[in-house]
Amino acid sequence: MASLVLIVDDEPNIVIPLQFLMEKNGYDVVIAQSGEEALEAIAKYIPDLILLDIMLPGIDGYEVCEIVRLRPEWQHIKIIFLTAKGRDVDLAKGMVLGADEYVIKPFSNEELLAKVKKYLPLLNENPK
Amino acid sequence: MRIQNKFWWFAGVTLLFFVIIIFSMALLFWQQLLPHQHDVLLNIFKKHFAYIFLGLFIILAGFGILLDWVFRIYILPLNKLVEEAHVIASVNPSHRIKPEGSKDIIRLSKIVNEGAERYEQLYQQVRQEILQEYEHAEDEKNILAALIDELPEGIVICNEQGKILLYNQQARLLLEHSECVDIAPNDNGAEVDRSCFIGLGRSIYNVMDAHKITHALDEISRKLVQADEEITAFFVNVDPDNRLLRVETMPLLNQKAEMAGFFLILTDITQQVEFTKEAQFLMENSIQKLRASSAAIRSSIEAILKYPQMKKAQLKDLAQIIHTETISLGDTLERKLSRFSGFVKEHWPLALTGTTDFWRIISRKAKDKLKIDLVWPANETSQQIRIDTYAFSLIFLFVCLQLKKITNRTRFECATNREGRFVCLDLTWPGDPISIEELHRWERHQLIVDDERMPFTFKDIIDSHNAEIWSYFGKQTTQRSYFRFYLPAAKRPLPDSLRRVTVLPEGRPEFYDFDLFNQPGQTPEIDQRPLNELTFTIFDTETTGLNPRGGDEIISIGAVRIFNQRLLQEERFDQLVDPQRPLPKESIQVHGIQPEMLIGKPTIDMVLPRFQQFCRGTILVAHNAAFDMRMLQMKEGQTGINFINPVLDTMLLSAVLHPAQEKHSFDAIAERFGIRIVGRHTAIGDAIATGEIFLKLIPLLAEKGILTLRQAREASQKTYYSRLKY
Repeated sequence: MASLVLIVDDEPNIVIPLQFLMEKNGYDVVIAQSGEEALEAIAKYIPDLILLDIMLPGIDGYEVCEIVRLRPEWQHIKIIFLTAKGRDVDLAKGMVLGADEYVIKPFSNEELLAKVKKYLPLLNENPK
Repeated sequence: MRIQNKFWWFAGVTLLFFVIIIFSMALLFWQQLLPHQHDVLLNIFKKHFAYIFLGLFIILAGFGILLDWVFRIYILPLNKLVEEAHVIASVNPSHRIKPEGSKDIIRLSKIVNEGAERYEQLYQQVRQEILQEYEHAEDEKNILAALIDELPEGIVICNEQGKILLYNQQARLLLEHSECVDIAPNDNGAEVDRSCFIGLGRSIYNVMDAHKITHALDEISRKLVQADEEITAFFVNVDPDNRLLRVETMPLLNQKAEMAGFFLILTDITQQVEFTKEAQFLMENSIQKLRASSAAIRSSIEAILKYPQMKKAQLKDLAQIIHTETISLGDTLERKLSRFSGFVKEHWPLALTGTTDFWRIISRKAKDKLKIDLVWPANETSQQIRIDTYAFSLIFLFVCLQLKKITNRTRFECATNREGRFVCLDLTWPGDPISIEELHRWERHQLIVDDERMPFTFKDIIDSHNAEIWSYFGKQTTQRSYFRFYLPAAKRPLPDSLRRVTVLPEGRPEFYDFDLFNQPGQTPEIDQRPLNELTFTIFDTETTGLNPRGGDEIISIGAVRIFNQRLLQEERFDQLVDPQRPLPKESIQVHGIQPEMLIGKPTIDMVLPRFQQFCRGTILVAHNAAFDMRMLQMKEGQTGINFINPVLDTMLLSAVLHPAQEKHSFDAIAERFGIRIVGRHTAIGDAIATGEIFLKLIPLLAEKGILTLRQAREASQKTYYSRLKY
């Protein structure tokens, strides 16, 4: 069974290429467009990895990360912040809250994929 | 006691004494007589009682008339003469005695007047000489004071206890806020002087948080001990109007390097902070938007490049994303970032200038420095532009110099044109225009013309003015080449925002008084303090009539302060009051305040709290204070404001000093002391004149041994006038 990646971003224009990229690399993808949707999706699907934007309508990415890290049953979920907030303090805050990686927009697909692969080695090397 | 009463007491006692002596002698004589002699005398007395009684009455009446005559002709004029001669010698050399009384006294009065004439001439001559000498020194002081007053920063200098020794107008504007701070009791339960006014001798803590200043002073003390080089301390003060003040605190050291006081330098940073906040928000917001868009574009492009065989629908989706995000990028750049750069440009210090003024300056400079003639139509309409005159004239000269080199010409025609929101400054010549390539080269040039230079490039200055340049050939119009500066047209600012021209004041401005360093401590027993050390509020009220108990109301309050024996006319309280009742015609004739002038003015319950703040901690002084105090007291129930300040009355003090004078009216005293009243029967005009009178009274009282507040009050109570009731 393929690993499940949850993409959380309110911008469809970034979600579409990301979804395409993940699927091409053999991951299953679930999408959420707000913090609330993300928490529902996490509870429902228990993804292996979350690509998490910080500035979201309602509950923001920091809060989602904090909630995930507080639940023992969700400890295994990897979190990669994917955000336009590029200041050093934003990065430091993200890492303190328990993120595994912090990627600043714009990023290269290769770089992002490398980080994802670090945590989710592909079971099935044949892309869809 | 009035002089008349004193005299008649004396006359009565003398008469009684004589009657007792005569009666005693008559009794002795009666006892010497034999009984039949008693009968004879009694018979004569009974028979001629009418004659004897009439005789006695005539003698007594004659005696009374004689005494009255002596009093009016000799005693009263002599007493007046003494008092008036003293006025001449002490406060008003121009005062003259009205000769009255006996021939001798009239002659004496005339001699005194002649002497006064000579004394006055001499006095004026000496005064003139002193004034001339003084003026020179005073001019220098005034320049310094005017400079301080015109500084864009607020300056306040305080002594160690926080009493204000100097302040400028900017400080007043920054510190006197619209709402008064509440009066808060201190630890002892006593009221603390927390008025919302700034003034000499008032405490800085009235208008600024004491904790912040104390903290800054502690920091400075620590730095002084550590011999730190940087000894200032900063804090930000937020006033009730939500204005942010940056306060720089600096110590004022005495000869022994101990702190004798402190400076506060105040800058309003409200706008600056708002600007920074807004600019920062705009910048961060734009960056995040740019990052998001470029992330979407980059990710999509990379996906297309990596998987060229993707389905058509997927390719279309990604291409669509690239398209919309590119548009969004452009939009962010156009709308947000250009607004940001406009923000910065708006804050470059540019001055409003008329184009004709600019042509005049630049043509003279071009002629002198570059030997270039700039010809401009003298009759053209001047347009308003905002420029850094120096920097802009330098780039203009730079252009002239380059044009001279390229065209080999030394004469250019100038013109001003208005094109929509822009003003165009043109230089024209017959021949070819300047190429764009050449213009680009100029733009990178550092600004150097002859011996003048600036550490900026041509482009820096053009950008900072939000300006544009280019060169073209007027093919369809003039057949000449143009070099054109495009500048945004400026509007004339409202007069309020223009800077005031500094006019040196005639007298010493009232906002500084260095003598205050010698002020006594903060809480001495006020009654025992000498009059010349106290702070007074001199006030006057105008009213709808003269009957406080009969419903007459205050319509105007005017007040000034006397501090360190100086009348501070600029620290004034001048307020019209809506009496909420009609104005009687007779009262309008007195004060000249028309009913329409009071429309929209605050009512007494709004004015009195502010007036109480103004007076706090001072002695109240008024002419016929009983009346004004009664007017204020009638409002105690309605407003809950009690005026508990000690009170002195110039009318009573004048009566203490000059008991022989019949008149102690305001006008009579002013005339006696040679005081000209500006604005008689306006509350503020009368208050100022009362203040001047009071200042003249203080030294005269001192000559009579009346030095302290208590002595002045006790002497006032003994005068005849103090019994007047309202």
